[in-house]
Order: sequence, then C-alpha cells, then structure tokens
Amino acid sequence: MLDAYIQSYNQAVFETDKPAALEVVNQALNDGFSPEDIVFKLVIPAIELMMTLIEKDPDANLAQHFMTAQIAADVTEKMLEKFSKPPEMIGRVVIGAAYGDLHSLGKRIVSGCLKSLMVDVIDLGTNVTAEKFVDTAVSENAQVIAVSAMMVHTATSEKGSLGVRSLLKERGLEQQIKLAVGGAPYRFDPELYTKVGADAWAPDGVTAAKVIVDLIREVKP
Amino acid sequence: MTPLEILTAAATGNPAPRIPVFCNMPDHGARELGMSAKQYFSKGEYIADGQLRLLRRYGYDNIWSLHYVGKEAELLGCSEILFADDGAPNVADFVIKNLDDIAKLDIPTDITLHPAWQSVADCLKILRSEVGGTHPICAYVTASTTLPAILMGMDKWMELFLLGPFDVRDELLRKCSDFCQQEIAALRALGANVLIYSTPFGSPYFVSRKQIEQTVMPWMRRDLLPGGNEDIVYYCGMATFNDVIDLVFDELHLKTHYISPLADLAEAKRLIGNRGLTCGVIDDIKMIHWSAEQTRAEVKRIIEIGKTGGHFLFGNGVMPIAVPEANIRTMVDAAFEYGRLP
Repeated sequence: MLDAYIQSYNQAVFETDKPAALEVVNQALNDGFSPEDIVFKLVIPAIELMMTLIEKDPDANLAQHFMTAQIAADVTEKMLEKFSKPPEMIGRVVIGAAYGDLHSLGKRIVSGCLKSLMVDVIDLGTNVTAEKFVDTAVSENAQVIAVSAMMVHTATSEKGSLGVRSLLKERGLEQQIKLAVGGAPYRFDPELYTKVGADAWAPDGVTAAKVIVDLIREVKP
Repeated sequence: MTPLEILTAAATGNPAPRIPVFCNMPDHGARELGMSAKQYFSKGEYIADGQLRLLRRYGYDNIWSLHYVGKEAELLGCSEILFADDGAPNVADFVIKNLDDIAKLDIPTDITLHPAWQSVADCLKILRSEVGGTHPICAYVTASTTLPAILMGMDKWMELFLLGPFDVRDELLRKCSDFCQQEIAALRALGANVLIYSTPFGSPYFVSRKQIEQTVMPWMRRDLLPGGNEDIVYYCGMATFNDVIDLVFDELHLKTHYISPLADLAEAKRLIGNRGLTCGVIDDIKMIHWSAEQTRAEVKRIIEIGKTGGHFLFGNGVMPIAVPEANIRTMVDAAFEYGRLP
C-alpha cells in the first residue's frame, strides 16, 4: 500500500510540487501509517532514488535538488516531533560557506538531505573562517566538516578548505574529522578537491549528502 | 579587418582571416594597475584603463565594461559589496531581506541618474572613444528571472520562484524586468554593442524545460522586447543549455549562444548551424592547474569542433585570477593560430 504513496510522493518531488508532496504525506498519516514509516519508508527512499537518478542522469535540475531537500527536511522535522522515541542519529556534520563566500543555496540543499538521513547538522552560515569550522567540529564532536564554495577564489583560498586541512593536520585531527567540499568550481574541475586538501567532493547537493554519510561511516563505523 | 569587422563576418558568414577570439578578464584589471579590487572598481576610469591595458597586453578581440555583477544590486539599493583581491566581488547586503521588501523595492525611473551608474558611464565613454570604432564593447545584463538572486540570495529566490506566493514573485519579476529593459537601453546608448544576457534560469540545469517555457520565457521576452536583439548573447552563467537552443531561436530570436564548457559543443554547433553564432568556451577553471601544452591542446580541440562551417567564435568563462599568465597568453595565441580561416 505504501508503494502507491512512494510513487505519488516521488512524482510530486520531481515536479517540484511541494503542496502535492505534503498532501501525500498527510494522506498516508490519515491511513494509519506511523511517522517512522513516513520518514524511513517514504522520505529517505525518495532521497535515495533521487541520488540514483542523478547518477544516471546528471542533468537533473537544481530546482529538483532544492525541492527534494526542502520537502524532505520539512516532512522529517514534522514527523520527528511525533516519533515514539528519538531516532538514532548517524553522525554529525559542521557545514558552512567558505571564508569570503556569501552563497547559501548549495549548503541548504545538502543540509536538508542530511537532516532527513538522520545526520545532525550544525550550519555555521556563510563567510566562515577555517578556525571556526575546526573549532566547532571539535567542540561538537562532528565527524565531517563540509565547506561550500561557489567562487573559484573562495574554493582555492588558503582561508577556505586549504586552511581547514592545515588546522586538521596541525592538531592531529585528520583521522577523526573528514573534509568534504562542494560548489560550482568543483564541477568545472573534478580534480580540484584534491588540490584544496579535501577527502571528498560532490557535484551537487543531493549527492553531497551521500558522500558525507559515507565519510561519517569511515570515521564512525 | 578590425576585430569588429571579424565578428560581423563570423555572424553573417562572410569571409574573414580568422575566427573572433574573445577573452573575459573582469577581475584582472586591478592587478594590471597595481590597485586593490576596491580601489579599482571605485572609478570607471580605472576599469577602462585596466581593460585597455589587458587588451593591449594580450591582443584579443573584445573589451569589457563590466564592473562586477553586484553593480546591478547597487543600482537597486545594495549598500555593501565584499571585495576580494583574489577574485570577484560578492553582494554582502541583500536589498530584499523579507518578502515585504518586494513591495517597497523601487526601480529608479532613470537608472543613469543613479550615483552608482556614473562609473559605468565613465568607463564606457572611454572605451567607446579609444576602441569603439574597431573592437566589440561587451556589457553584462542580468535577466529578470536571475536578478532576484543578487537582491535576496539564491536560496530565498529559488524558494519564492518555486513555491510562491506567486503574485509576490511576479511583482518582483516585473520590477526586475523593468530594470533590465532600462539597463539594456542605457548600455546601448553608451556604445556597448555586445550585450551578454545572463540568464541561468534559462538553463535546464537550473529549472525544468517546462518551467523555462511557462515561467522564464515570458519574462525573457519582456526583458528583450525593446530595441531588437541583434546584439544580445544568450548566456546561462556557464550552465549548459543545449536542450533549449531551438526554443531560444523560436521564442527570443537570439542568434549568439555562449556555450558552457560542460556542454557538448559539437551538438550545440549542429543545433545552431548557420542560423547564428556559436561561442566555444574553454574551461578556464582547469586552466589554473593546466600546463601550457594542455591549454593549447584544449583550444585546438574546441576550435576544431567549431570552426568548420564558420559562424563560430572562441571565448572563455570569467578567467580566475589564479590562472597563470603564461596560460592566458597560450590560450589567446593558440586561438589565433588554430582559428585561421582559409
């Protein structure tokens, strides 16, 4: 029976129709499905399906990525309030836009997907210093630092992910905190992430969530 | 032939000694003059001087009047730009902080009277006087459906664009389109004759084709309605748009297409054919770490795809400051060499 809801929900998400997606969720709740079912059997499979589709068709558009994340995050937040017991979180990530970068769309997509995948997200906003990334990751016991950069100079600057890498190395944290990067410059040069000291990168926000979950599992099996 | 004549020949399919070679380096002028970015962008005279020096240094065909994209936001009330000496300036103050601000957003009745326009006018006046008779003068215009991204932030704009309230969204689009029309007319009046119409929301990378047809296209038509479209270049901020090239021809009648380095250039050339001008664009982010040989090989590859059949020019993205000078020199020289026509 949930299969029909999954199909309708996915259709609404792919068409970036948030009201239709929320209607599917409400209908499923009215028909007796639990909030846990909604998150684990509807929302998370929808994100995973989007990840699979993006792998097959990298031309899935930004609006679809954005709505996948926003709808998933909204539904998950509402459902979590109704869970019979708090869910076990996979891990924790500190995310933000690199120093000098004021763009926030990418990290918002990543954050929305991660929250639905049961990852704690600490969003430091935009224009974040390398020190703040590392200090927060340490104080909050995060497994991953995710640095978004939409401009070439903020991606390659010593004050961006290169600065984070230096601090992780200097403080002996490279085994317990992994570094992920994303943003437009990395799409144009897929090798760029290695030159800015990152452990991984992703070409879009939805795939970034998968990459970050994989990094969390490397640190916290 | 002058660069302007070579460009015209490429557009019309007439004989020329070589293809046009465009190079965009809006952020390099400050270094050329030994200034900070903030100082460089403070006066139109500096920008004109910096761009003219770059033109003389490398010898490519076009010249840019673009200050920075946030200039448009300043004309609409933005009070802070974050300058960087190693890259492009960022808008640091969003004019629209909440949806109520959209009703209050005031489009100047004449943007040329706005203090922020003065440097644009000063720059174009110098460029027109120095090279207007020989070189294409490029200017940059953000489409109405993309302008809100620098007024309220891309994520907030994407949310409003997709989820509404749609009356509020359309009120903002109408204001942005009014601004766009004025800006195009003002730039033309000052002598700009290649207008890069930046329309990322006109790319299927950003929104679906259905959303482009239903929502974006009517606003693009409105933006471009006055004054013709011979000088307009369709550009999606380096995003791919091969899937809508036919649509752009049919609906907007635009003939010049600035193709993303991530797109299939051969397909774009085939789609455009002799109907218009295809610009093959090098991935200048990769040029940061490429050797001169790699740069040269990529220029050769692009031009070999595009040159056959004419109606082609070579260009780059927004040349990062970190690209070594030797690679810029190699790119321009190789484009002249491989771009020779029989």
